[in-house]
Amino acid sequence: MIEVKNLTKVYGDRVAVGNISFTVNKGEVLGFLGQNGAGKTTTMKMLTCFIPPTEGTAKIAGFDIFEQPLEVKRRIGYLPETPPIYKELLVQEYLDFVVELRGVPKKSRKQKVDAALDKCNLGDVRGRLIGNLSKGYRQRVGIAQALVHDPDVLILDEPTVGLDPKQVSEARGLIRSLKSEHTVIYSTHILSEVQASCDRIIIIDRGKIVAQETIGDVGSSKIAKTEIVIQRTNKSVADALRRVAGVKDVKEHSNGSHRLIIESEPRSDVMAEISKTVVNENVGLVRMSPVQLGLEEYYLNLIGGRTAE
Amino acid sequence: MSATTAIIKKEVRTYFYSPVAYVLIGLFLLIMGIIFSRFVAIYQQVNAAQRMGQAQGVTLDKLAVYYYQNMAFYLCLLTPFLTMKLYAEERSQNTLELLMTAPIRTSQLVFGKFLGALSLMSIMVAITFVYVSFMIMWGNPDLRIIAATYLGLFLCMACYISLGGLISAMVSSQAIAAILAFVVLFALYLMQMLSQGVTSTWMGIQIGPTLAYLSPLGHFNSINEGLIQVKDVVYFVSFTGLMLFLTHRVVESNRWR
Repeated sequence: MIEVKNLTKVYGDRVAVGNISFTVNKGEVLGFLGQNGAGKTTTMKMLTCFIPPTEGTAKIAGFDIFEQPLEVKRRIGYLPETPPIYKELLVQEYLDFVVELRGVPKKSRKQKVDAALDKCNLGDVRGRLIGNLSKGYRQRVGIAQALVHDPDVLILDEPTVGLDPKQVSEARGLIRSLKSEHTVIYSTHILSEVQASCDRIIIIDRGKIVAQETIGDVGSSKIAKTEIVIQRTNKSVADALRRVAGVKDVKEHSNGSHRLIIESEPRSDVMAEISKTVVNENVGLVRMSPVQLGLEEYYLNLIGGRTAE
Repeated sequence: MSATTAIIKKEVRTYFYSPVAYVLIGLFLLIMGIIFSRFVAIYQQVNAAQRMGQAQGVTLDKLAVYYYQNMAFYLCLLTPFLTMKLYAEERSQNTLELLMTAPIRTSQLVFGKFLGALSLMSIMVAITFVYVSFMIMWGNPDLRIIAATYLGLFLCMACYISLGGLISAMVSSQAIAAILAFVVLFALYLMQMLSQGVTSTWMGIQIGPTLAYLSPLGHFNSINEGLIQVKDVVYFVSFTGLMLFLTHRVVESNRWR
């Protein structure tokens, strides 16, 4: 659906996006992950034909962004970083304007606007002035605007910024639900978000792609980490645990807290054996919980120690 | 085409949703109303004096010419407040991105915005038909001249709005767009008078008449007197066309910055 080839954008002597290539298949949700200023927004602006690339090109649904921008624009819905709203219009009027602007035939306009209002849960504010809406609602109006004409491709630039936790999870649900009909690219710098709603992530740093992974690969590695909290520590627990088949390593917390980190094979019989061992040792098992090998760690590893900048 | 109408509708609608349209129309009608009532008073005085044999009479047509000259001038002063938001506002509230990523051509955008502002101003000027009806009720004006005058006003408005729109496209603050447009339009308007008596030449071009030609005032005046000449219409149309073309280039150049 989306083919990006050697896309480059240079501002003066600063390379905002340097020679990136990737493809997105139909119906996929692609998370675009990176720090602020990594080049996410610039890439998106190029894909939406808002700014032209310095070099390279991209094809959306088979149309080149430079050669046939009108055809490309007809097939994309775009939510910029700041939702492009007119504060003096009503929600309904705004969507009516956008749907007409995007060239939807007259007879299906009303139905499309209603569907968009419905998808974004905006039904009860359709008659309100956009300027009077809260930030979360405005963001939702922005999302509604992007999908009102039923585009093949949705490009969302940080769609969950400024939403409260409930709305964030709603927005994620919305993005998930869009997956069946649309191809979605969306950018964020919040890691848990891509884990929750993307099929695949691209991590971009300083204008370069540093990793392309499917979500499954990142989260579940070959090692499961389990944290155990006990009441009393005795020397034999760790040794007993080390003898359990499948356990690779046991780390004791050196700071005197009664906690052990166990690295083992991610199989349930190994887990069962671990818990049985701890109970047999009679050290008072308080808690046993899996430690997620987070995207966070993965991400920080990739971009190295440069987060301080 | 549908995109152009969408933009025209949106422009006119947002004018009426903000106080801009009401304030401008109110102010314009107030000024024109005061001037009209003054003219009626002068008309009566002069004609009464004429009957006493003390002064030369003044025809209603002559008064109408003065009246519409004033109108063209006040339209020129009010235009900046109408055009200031056209692009500057879109840019400051990030909606330019919406318009530029919609499947429309830049020319449709520029044309839609131009026609939107022009329609609002036409509505405003159309209300002054009230005065025409007064003239018909109590006098005998030459309606052909008045029709020509309204054509002239329309051409003037097109030229003011296209210039104001260009300036709005070049800056990102509405206030600066208004002030700049005000200065430029005013200077352009006064050029006719300033050029009087300028006799110097530059590379064989007579500066005085050239400046006068560039001002819309002279062209409007001749149409206002009932003389529709091709050269005046050509002036207005090419002026507006050039401004719209430049606006198109400026808006398009946003992509490259």
